[in-house]
Amino acid sequence: MSRIATIGLFLWGTLAPGYASASPIEDAQNAELERARAEIGDQVQLSVYDLIDELVYGWMQEPVFDSPTPVVLAGVTVPVGLGTGMQALVENHIGAVLAANPQTQIQLVHCPTCTATVVHSGPEGTVVSRGFDNPEVLDALGGSSGQHALFVDVEAEGTWLVLRARMTRLTPELPIVWSHTLASSIGTPALLREPGDLKSAEDARKEYLAALHRRGPILVPLRFAVRSYDRPDAFQGIGVAPPPFVWLQSGVEVGMSDARAWTASFLVGYSFVPQAYQGIMAQARVQRLLTGRSRSLTRPDLYVFAGGAVMSVWGAATASFQDTPLTTDLIITTLDGDPPRTAFGGLHIGLDLRVGHRVGFSAFLENLPSLGDNQNLGTYLQFVVPFQSLGTEVTLWF
Amino acid sequence: MPATLLVSFAFLPFLTADPAPSLLRSKARSRRLECEHISALTGSEQYPGQIIAPRPRGEFVDRTALVCTERILRPGLRNARDEAVLRDLDAQARELAVAATSTREDLADHTWVVETFYPGAQVAWKIAFAAKNALMAQGASVSDRVPMLAAGDIAVLTRMSPAEAYPAACKRYHELGSLGEGDALLAVVSRHPRETTLHAGLCVAGGWTWLR
Repeated sequence: MSRIATIGLFLWGTLAPGYASASPIEDAQNAELERARAEIGDQVQLSVYDLIDELVYGWMQEPVFDSPTPVVLAGVTVPVGLGTGMQALVENHIGAVLAANPQTQIQLVHCPTCTATVVHSGPEGTVVSRGFDNPEVLDALGGSSGQHALFVDVEAEGTWLVLRARMTRLTPELPIVWSHTLASSIGTPALLREPGDLKSAEDARKEYLAALHRRGPILVPLRFAVRSYDRPDAFQGIGVAPPPFVWLQSGVEVGMSDARAWTASFLVGYSFVPQAYQGIMAQARVQRLLTGRSRSLTRPDLYVFAGGAVMSVWGAATASFQDTPLTTDLIITTLDGDPPRTAFGGLHIGLDLRVGHRVGFSAFLENLPSLGDNQNLGTYLQFVVPFQSLGTEVTLWF
Repeated sequence: MPATLLVSFAFLPFLTADPAPSLLRSKARSRRLECEHISALTGSEQYPGQIIAPRPRGEFVDRTALVCTERILRPGLRNARDEAVLRDLDAQARELAVAATSTREDLADHTWVVETFYPGAQVAWKIAFAAKNALMAQGASVSDRVPMLAAGDIAVLTRMSPAEAYPAACKRYHELGSLGEGDALLAVVSRHPRETTLHAGLCVAGGWTWLR
């Protein structure tokens, strides 16, 4: 231990002046490295918590001690490169889970002298060590000799996160009385167990699967959509744009698998505004998940979608969908006759943000091929084809 | 319009989840992946919801899955040598523990002590931790004690070649009583700055043996 301390001091003495005089480029590189490390730390934190929960659950099932025993949390180390911020989080989580589960028979105690650096001079020489490495000195200092020390180490090994724990009795022989190693693939979803209701990884996995399968492959969406139509440009058309159309839609949405990376929906809708218009529609759409390979139980999912719709609308306010430019004279002359009736199709593309596949918000642009020459409509965006309609939707899934 | 569609379809193969470099995946990102080829059944158990289990009565197509996972720490975030050692630490520690306990079965009643000789203190601590846990998993009795040498011994040993220093250190451990008759020291050694394999030596009753 003294050798390690000496090497550490030598390295610090050698490197510290160089670090102090780092160039702005090095500073920027260091800042970028720290940012990347913090990002990875955020990503692995839940997995580390899972491993700790699994460790404590193991103690609940097979306690190391028969009766409540004071244990010093002597050392927590995190993956090399992830910094001490994560170390504090891990320490806090261990404390919280152990405090919530007294049946582990482990009572965490505070022992400042155990983790402090102690210097002991005797006939055999001078020894510099930490308190828990030298129980005789610890005893002389009135520390916690005879207690147990818990060491926890988490390391990133390739794609695996490995947690190692060992418990050492603080007697002169320092025997390791218990040790365990747990590993988790970083691709495994976090189990998110409650600290006060720990369960085995197997049971937690069953719950996760139940949550995943609970919705089944078929969902029933209830969608409120608004389609607005662009006004004609001054030089392009002379007509009047249709009013925004509100649609209430429902139908089925089918996922290819529980991952719901690809889904397809088939909806019918009805639109009605008294004195203005009515309409019916049918719509088909294919969605592709953009955020990850499977839908998330915890964070929002973003989909891109494309589809088509066929709408039939009638009523006084639907005259704008007809090819004739809408003028005041035309409106007055059609007041007494049959209201205009039009059927047209549309192709749309858009983005859909969903939370837990329960609530979603989407926006899309729609191309109306049969109304391409309609002088009552303008174009929101011209990209390969003109997009004359802009839609927003709020959806509830059942 | 047809030309636009044709160009769009031409890009489709690059938009798939293939781990090879593509339009959406750089070469550097592809190199960070570790891929495993598994059966659809195993895949459905390991990744429920993402890989569909094969039907009980079989399928027309024999499906398999290529599961690729990104390494937790991307290259460059830590020292390359540390990364190389830590990447396989669990496997290496297990191999060393098996080698130590199986080479000398007469040491079953001994107490094992682990010492690591690696330039970085943080990684050395982790190697020792892994080796101790691996020895415990083999059913050995392990102590957290750190065998110590006098300052004069260290001054002499650091001037010797590694081939001579480790046996000499072992002898001194025994002579100073740092390692008793019932103790066995497993020394995990990194012998060369450019080497990523960990070596191991065994020190029992003042006698040194290279295990690997």
